[in-house]
Amino acid sequence: MAGKTIVVTSGKGGVGKTTTVANLGTTLAKKKHSVVMIDTDIGLRNLDVVMGLENRIVYNLVDVIEGKCRKEQAMIRDRKLPNLYIIPAAQTREKNSVTPEQMKTLCGDLSAEFDFVIIDCPAGIEQGFKNAIAGADTALVVTTPEVSAIRDADRVIGLLEASLLKNIHLIINRLNVKMVKRGDSMSTDDILALLSVPLLGVVPESEEVVVSTNRGVPLVHERGSKAGAAFRRIAARLNGENIAPDEDGSDGFFGRMKRLIWN
Amino acid sequence: MLSILKRFFGEKSSGQVARKRMQLVLMHDRMDITPDIMEALKNDIIGVLSRYMEIDNKSVKVNLEQGKDFTALISNVQVKRVYRHASN
Repeated sequence: MAGKTIVVTSGKGGVGKTTTVANLGTTLAKKKHSVVMIDTDIGLRNLDVVMGLENRIVYNLVDVIEGKCRKEQAMIRDRKLPNLYIIPAAQTREKNSVTPEQMKTLCGDLSAEFDFVIIDCPAGIEQGFKNAIAGADTALVVTTPEVSAIRDADRVIGLLEASLLKNIHLIINRLNVKMVKRGDSMSTDDILALLSVPLLGVVPESEEVVVSTNRGVPLVHERGSKAGAAFRRIAARLNGENIAPDEDGSDGFFGRMKRLIWN
Repeated sequence: MLSILKRFFGEKSSGQVARKRMQLVLMHDRMDITPDIMEALKNDIIGVLSRYMEIDNKSVKVNLEQGKDFTALISNVQVKRVYRHASN
């Protein structure tokens, strides 16, 4: 049976696509699934540093596509998990050195061998975006509770629907629970009402994310991290497990009283 | 503390303000139709109207207008003559 091919996208840059890919891939691999993650951000690769594998790169995605090496030669194995690989992007090439058809073929080949193929999409909605979504059967749209990220997410959802990719889920990243409680941030419900895409999970804002990327070790390896636990729950839902929804602080007793008073 | 006081005196929380603004912005973004689709829409409207009345094709204008919390399709058509029986 062919594996799942998942693209992680957002429109806006800096909302946490690469962090999401690294943590979901690592969690699924920890559960004994075979996983390959592809960085399609040609010219601005980052998945390798987030995973702490930047010193091991020999070949890259464009080399595979151009037939300069076999795909096995470009796949770098994770330091801890033997069933987790990344294919890094080329750093000194143009975005149009890859076509959507070539990506479709590559994703098809990889999904025959792996349980999960996770594609890290570049920011923007141009060629790189079209390449990244071409071979995917599922899209995860990452947004933060900021207006600019939500607007761009809406554009991307429109483009995904137009490209007939119907299986779209939302991940809300960097939600500040305190600010939601105070009424100074849009809540999960607000964002869902605006974007009307099914929610896969909410990741709370956390300094631990910065620490883990500094070290090049995905957060889900750490125990006791709230953001890491949120990523683990998202990965479980992606795997078809039934997990209770994440809390965002807007539905506590105090929050409900506040809404009653101020609405 | 200041923000609590402000809210007590009727100022909306910034989260609510953001939600309201995004409702309008997204509605507007989603209504942004490309010129060739607009042209096709206009030709279809002309086609339908022409079955019931004689119209001045050149006078037809079709616009999407954004109200405060709605979007309206507004079209102006000069009618020369209404047919007594609809022609197919």
